[in-house]
Amino acid sequence: MIPQSVIRSAALAAAVFTCAGLAASVASAGVEEGRVKAQACVACHGADGNSLAPQIPSIAGQPRQFIEMSLIMFREGRRINEAMKPLVDKLSNADVRDLAQYFAAQKMAPPNRQPTAEVAALGRAITEKNNCVQCHSATLTGQQHIPRLAGQHKDYLLVQLKGFKAGARADFDGTMTSAAQALAPTELDLVADYLATLAAP
Amino acid sequence: MKTTLRLSGLALSLGFATAALAQQPAPAAPAAAPSWKQGMAVEHEKSTLHPFAPHFTGRPSSELPVAKLKVPDGFKIEVWAEGVPEARSLSLGDKGTVFVSNRNLSSVYAIVDSGGKREVKTLLKGMKAPNGLVFDKGTLYVAERHRITRYDGIEDHLDNAGEGKVVIDNLDPTNQTGHFWKYMVMGPDGKLYFNIGSPQNITMPTYNEAVIVRVDPKTGILENYAQGVRNTVGMAFHPKTKQLWFTDHGRDWLGTDMPSDELNVVKTRGQHFGFPYCHQGDVLDPVYGAGRSCDEFTPPVDKLGAHIAPLGVKFYTGSMFPAQYRNTMLIAQHGSWNRDPKQGYNVIQVSVDAKGKVTKKPFVEGFLENAAGDPPMWGRPVDILQLKDGSVLFSDDYNGIIYRVSYAKK
Repeated sequence: MIPQSVIRSAALAAAVFTCAGLAASVASAGVEEGRVKAQACVACHGADGNSLAPQIPSIAGQPRQFIEMSLIMFREGRRINEAMKPLVDKLSNADVRDLAQYFAAQKMAPPNRQPTAEVAALGRAITEKNNCVQCHSATLTGQQHIPRLAGQHKDYLLVQLKGFKAGARADFDGTMTSAAQALAPTELDLVADYLATLAAP
Repeated sequence: MKTTLRLSGLALSLGFATAALAQQPAPAAPAAAPSWKQGMAVEHEKSTLHPFAPHFTGRPSSELPVAKLKVPDGFKIEVWAEGVPEARSLSLGDKGTVFVSNRNLSSVYAIVDSGGKREVKTLLKGMKAPNGLVFDKGTLYVAERHRITRYDGIEDHLDNAGEGKVVIDNLDPTNQTGHFWKYMVMGPDGKLYFNIGSPQNITMPTYNEAVIVRVDPKTGILENYAQGVRNTVGMAFHPKTKQLWFTDHGRDWLGTDMPSDELNVVKTRGQHFGFPYCHQGDVLDPVYGAGRSCDEFTPPVDKLGAHIAPLGVKFYTGSMFPAQYRNTMLIAQHGSWNRDPKQGYNVIQVSVDAKGKVTKKPFVEGFLENAAGDPPMWGRPVDILQLKDGSVLFSDDYNGIIYRVSYAKK
């Protein structure tokens, strides 16, 4: 027999239905909460998450789940960064969710330069041959817990990639350590250069 | 001023990374694949299949389509607790405390009723993959990736658990990257039964990998109990026969329908369940199966489905549910990632008759939204726990939610 849907109770069912109906406004409330809580972040990451400092990542338009996971890993002490530590220590899970919702809703700034034809060709080839596009998506804009690389600062990317290659960067499941170790230092530089020039589709 | 401080902090961490890089010798060999990608055939190299990560903050049920969850006639399902990030294994204290573990995160939670209100306390912090939990005679046992510790009289110390006493240590000498989390149950003999998983998707394990072992908490003596077990994340002793039943995850990258995950029973200590030579009882591994026969190994009681990821298994012994549930199993399916289309993400009822015939029925459905989606689901069942009143809880690590299923006679 096909099981019949059983809802907790009429009152609760109504509550769930109402919540579903309000989902959109609940979501935007989270963005607003996040905007207020983001005041501690914007000095470094920029008002809308588009940082100007090349060592500091652009977090505008990153996947929400990726931002949440990054903040949790910083708070857990699994990913270490002295600048982030005092800021994340104080965050509740609700704060993390609001911040992620806010920054995920921001638009990434278009890259400020075009790649040379050589960098474009070689860079694309590396991202395909080394399966970057398999997880980070065909447009390299990330998905779920996997970050957007397109339009990220070259300097930041390169520090992360070198950290992965050295086994020094926190790595959730070993995927990036493995991926970076397969690349020569010149390739790391080239792919970081290429990724920094990619715009959102 | 603050900005300057942050920037100098950043400079420090960059300096650290650069120093680590400088010490790194030139790579001599190609990098090893991460454990989840290991064992891919050439034709899988461009596959976009990938494991799913939980929402580590937990997600509020008010933002989720919980009204879509379906249970059989006469049953009802409700959110029992939320805000339990990455809720994994469940265990019940004598005084009603529900203990909840983590796999990727590092806490153990205690959920208590305080004045009619359900409160989630963080009981233990800073643990290493504390997936396995057992409550027995006032003591909470926690299986981390590398050790088992005990917390005596825990329900009298829920606000200050203190330091655990080590039952056994050094269970993960290689700091393995594969199936490092442990599931643990208390045996009728007073010994703790737990698994040590395969360190890779498919590999030749050492004698103390891909096994179920048991340890006597009084002596710390460890014994092998079953072999050829790739990755079990659910075990339960049958209430009558006292035999150990367990779910086991088959290897990845053999295709959408191959091999099936397994439901097994240990009838004799030392039985070998096939890994890495034989999968699902009747399919030899393309590499490790060479020169072997599946007849050498104990076949599963049932094939639960390819990549469906059966986790918690519990025998229902309560009196709240109808009689046909008594002593049958409830099995949580975490759901597939290594196949297309996706399947699972349900809780099923499994009964085995006297002749060994297996019957599977849906028990909780509705987490799978779009089998072709990425992600395809909005929740993932993990472990099952029967409460004293005969109702059943199950955990959902994707959202950090615990649901309760109860039955009302008509």
